[in-house]
Amino acid sequence: MEPVIRLSSVSKRFGRVKALDNVSLNIQPGTVCAVLGSNGAGKSTAIRLLLGFESADKGDIEVLGMNPKTHALEIRSRVGYVSDSPPLYDWMTVDEIGWFAAGFYPTGYQAEYEKLTKRFDLHPSQKIKGLSKGTRAKVALSLAMAHRPQLLIMDEPTSGLDPLVRREFLESMIDVAAEGRSVLLSSHQVGEVERVADDVIVLMNGKVIAHERLEDLKQSVTEVVLTMPSLTAMPPRLPGEVLAHVPVGHEHIWLMRNLDGGALTDLCRSQELPPPIIRKPSLEDILLTLLRQNRNQQAAEQEMLSTGQYDVPSLRP
Amino acid sequence: MICQIDTNNGIPIYEQICRQVKFAIANGSLVVGEHVPSVREMATSAAVNVNTVARSYRDLQAQGVLVSIRGTGLAVAMDAPEKCRSERLEMIRERLRYILREAIQNGVSSDEIHSLVHSEWAELQREPPP
Repeated sequence: MEPVIRLSSVSKRFGRVKALDNVSLNIQPGTVCAVLGSNGAGKSTAIRLLLGFESADKGDIEVLGMNPKTHALEIRSRVGYVSDSPPLYDWMTVDEIGWFAAGFYPTGYQAEYEKLTKRFDLHPSQKIKGLSKGTRAKVALSLAMAHRPQLLIMDEPTSGLDPLVRREFLESMIDVAAEGRSVLLSSHQVGEVERVADDVIVLMNGKVIAHERLEDLKQSVTEVVLTMPSLTAMPPRLPGEVLAHVPVGHEHIWLMRNLDGGALTDLCRSQELPPPIIRKPSLEDILLTLLRQNRNQQAAEQEMLSTGQYDVPSLRP
Repeated sequence: MICQIDTNNGIPIYEQICRQVKFAIANGSLVVGEHVPSVREMATSAAVNVNTVARSYRDLQAQGVLVSIRGTGLAVAMDAPEKCRSERLEMIRERLRYILREAIQNGVSSDEIHSLVHSEWAELQREPPP
């Protein structure tokens, strides 16, 4: 199937800051794709490029098969977009803003908008000005979904919202994906992402450091704790790819990718170590480790570049 | 049938759904022939990905716990209650083993564990049912 979003070698800089650095990725239709990463990692820049609010310095972008530079209007008419601080006309009422927005879309928009606002328990005659942050967000979501977009893009839509509103947002995303439409979600709520995402993309300093199915990521990563007999004893080399290794006194904690569990048990037995503790880490643990490890790696790269030799293993499978 | 999903307990979400359906059948909150919520209803009410629910239902179907009734959805199979009851012990055994391993690693004695089990059991009996 044709991807709904395609980025190839996209770069964008603001002054001296590289917001996106040679980013390539495809997002398949009918999936919920979550973009994770710290503040300033490039998430919002990527979204702004997709909608044609900014243009890339280098590389090609396609949204629903169209170029945002030349087809920004067509893209926006087929995509729903919710930002963390949606701009709404304060002096309009809930139903007026729906009627106003309906003018930009084919017929049926207003009826769908009314259905959505009713589902979200919004009062049609209330002024936008007097709405709470959560209710405002629900108006923005209704506006973004009333034309039944093929792609719903959400940029930290639930930041600062109460659990009830967040749950309603999650349910809406699930509904969109259930109908075979797609969702691109940027969020810091890792627990929510873990529930709803099919794929995750981790961005750091404008680079994609991981892009894969959430299930595969969680399946392949394990946490191992080994207790060494003394503080000075060197821990063994573990069978698998080491993502992170933290010594805490006698104890050593690893985050491993594709750990060979059988080989680890044999290793511990042969070296007369106590049996290892093996745990499945949450997405949050994995994310933190990936971000920390990449921060160190990038610092090391800088150093290596100055000495002229470098060889950094890739995280991507 | 309500599914409570916890993303922090280390059990994959699809597995949590499978377990909860089985527990519901084992304790009689889902009876033979009763329909389970559709994939979409379950996904929305538990706020989890649709494909995750679909995968759980596929697994449950493959295990013969749910059967597809043409045109209407999935229902609890004839011999599912018996299957689920015997599996319920197996699932608890697995979790117990995990906890006991942790206890052994932290040097907790067998006596301490036994008295802990008894006191916790008594404590939970006093709690009103949820």
